[in-house]
Amino acid sequence: MGLIIGLDLCDAYTQLSCYEKEKNWTLPTIICKCKNEDEWYVGEEAYARNLVGNGILVDKLLNLVSRDGTATIENVKYEGIHLLELFLERVLLLPQEEYKVKEIDQLVITLPSLSGKVMDSFLYCADYLKIPRERVHIISHEESFVYYVLSQKKEVWSNQVGLFDLSADCLCYYELKVQRGMQKMMVVAESEEQEETFNLDILDTPPGAKMADKILCACGERLLEKKLFSTIILSGKGFERQDWAPEFMKMICRRRKVYAETALFSQGAAYRAFDYMQEKTSYPFVCICEGRLKSTISMQVLYKDRISQLVVASAGENWYESKTTMEFLLDDSRSLEFVITPMNPKQKRTETIVLEGFPNRQPWTTRVQVNVGFLDDSTMAIAVRDKGFGEIFEATDALVRREVKL
Amino acid sequence: MSVMFCRHEPVKHPFYIEPLRIHIWSSQELCYVIYNNPLLVLEDFVDDHLIAFIREELDMEYLAAKLEKLIKSGEDNDQLLLVILSECSYYPAAEQNRFHQEVAALKKLSPAQYAKRKGDYMFGLKQYGRAAAIYGKILESPREPGEETGFTGKVWCNLGCTYARMFQFDRAGSAFYHAYLESKDQEILKRMYFLTRVNSGTELKEPCRSAVTEELAGAWDREVEETKEKAKSSESVLKIEGLFEKDPIKRMAGASKLVKQWKQEYRGMI
Repeated sequence: MGLIIGLDLCDAYTQLSCYEKEKNWTLPTIICKCKNEDEWYVGEEAYARNLVGNGILVDKLLNLVSRDGTATIENVKYEGIHLLELFLERVLLLPQEEYKVKEIDQLVITLPSLSGKVMDSFLYCADYLKIPRERVHIISHEESFVYYVLSQKKEVWSNQVGLFDLSADCLCYYELKVQRGMQKMMVVAESEEQEETFNLDILDTPPGAKMADKILCACGERLLEKKLFSTIILSGKGFERQDWAPEFMKMICRRRKVYAETALFSQGAAYRAFDYMQEKTSYPFVCICEGRLKSTISMQVLYKDRISQLVVASAGENWYESKTTMEFLLDDSRSLEFVITPMNPKQKRTETIVLEGFPNRQPWTTRVQVNVGFLDDSTMAIAVRDKGFGEIFEATDALVRREVKL
Repeated sequence: MSVMFCRHEPVKHPFYIEPLRIHIWSSQELCYVIYNNPLLVLEDFVDDHLIAFIREELDMEYLAAKLEKLIKSGEDNDQLLLVILSECSYYPAAEQNRFHQEVAALKKLSPAQYAKRKGDYMFGLKQYGRAAAIYGKILESPREPGEETGFTGKVWCNLGCTYARMFQFDRAGSAFYHAYLESKDQEILKRMYFLTRVNSGTELKEPCRSAVTEELAGAWDREVEETKEKAKSSESVLKIEGLFEKDPIKRMAGASKLVKQWKQEYRGMI
């Protein structure tokens, strides 16, 4: 059996966990090229090479990729995507060498925020690493959080679950609640980057630590008040130890369990990776979080002489992986209607796509191909093409593209 | 506003319908052809070849098996067609019913009437060779009791038109001659007169010649001249003129394409 890997990639740190394995790896997201040699190092070793003056460092790889950036090392221009490929290749060597397994059965990469461009980049990396694309998935930190929490005992998530992630970059608060009593259990996760943030270096001095504790307490009181939590989780480099925040700890430990898990996102991703491999999911719930659709998109269609509702994409589906191609025959109207049903059904609405430039033919003799994809969790991209009606009515090059805000 | 959802049909080898000169790529197109061309499909359309297409290309095993079973039990062709329309769900029940009624009405026609309708249908498809063969067969057969008055004359006339479309002017003239003898219709006389103008080798025989008065000949001549004038500005003539305005290389390429197209059309019609 190959490796089932969860990889949390942030600009500052990268964490890696394997499903059902104890060990987690944490390393700075940096890559270093040895001077005058085509040798590359990552993480702490990259720092070490750089310190002795033997290597040139590149950091903030995720940022570099998202803005199509390049890095020039020894007069050679390296594209960000290539540096990311080299970085991932070396990071993945860690579990491969540790467990003496080369094959990767599933790789789930979790990111603090998702964009189509960055997600595409990871698929190019998969090609470079010769990992079949279908074995690579990209999810948000929110989704990792959901999978981590729901992999724990039920009492952990019987009420709301809060997560404070304190990294060198920022303090981010995540919240998860399970909504029962519907047809399918629904898990809603949200996150918010906190304005109150501080440099982790201040924790090294008692006054700095005290101030940080105070900041966290203020945050905690505001975020946790009037809500019923079963669990609070602390994660990130800032919570590797908690002795600097006695007041905050006292506050969050009131009437709820508190856990500290530094590799939460990579572990959540590893749980998700394992679930991808199962024929039937172990998490039978609708997950609403970043990376997942928050609305259901459907169309009223005629099928087998009956009017039916055709679901194009469901709320809770991964928007990046949700791509559909369908074919319809049009009656004498030249438009398509999409019904958008958000979480609050009262906000249900219809979007009409007018098929401008499409030829007028007899009813039911215009076949259209409809491609639906998503640019992000709130933008649906639709392309409609005229396919004619076989050789009876030849196809034209009529094409309508629309982006719809969900 | 309504749209019909199309199931995925993995057609790689489409079904060719020769008289229509089209390939069928989906169950919806198959139904469309059946519904709009009852005279084409009523006799021997549902065969092993079509069933193989339904099974392998349209991936409709259930329908294919049902058709095979019905053929084995000696079911009528029209019933097989109705099964196809019903299983593919392209036409609603009301439309299927309409098709059923149309087929029933066709089946009530006498063999000669049915054959003429089929010949006319083939003529409409520009399948002049097939239409001529059908009309010829009707005229060779003994007359049916209770035949509609003027029926034979109409068949001769249609045969004449068919030959004329195939540029077989002598045969066309002969068919119109018979049609005139049957009906004494001045319209047919006019057509024969026009033939003599189009094809200089054709002459009117008696009693047709005597029937064309000077007055009639003058009026028809004017009509011919007017039509010729009109034809000069017709789209196809303008297209050819446009072709000759081009440089020699483009002209030759265009001419070659046009001749090829005419040849194909002619081959398709005979």
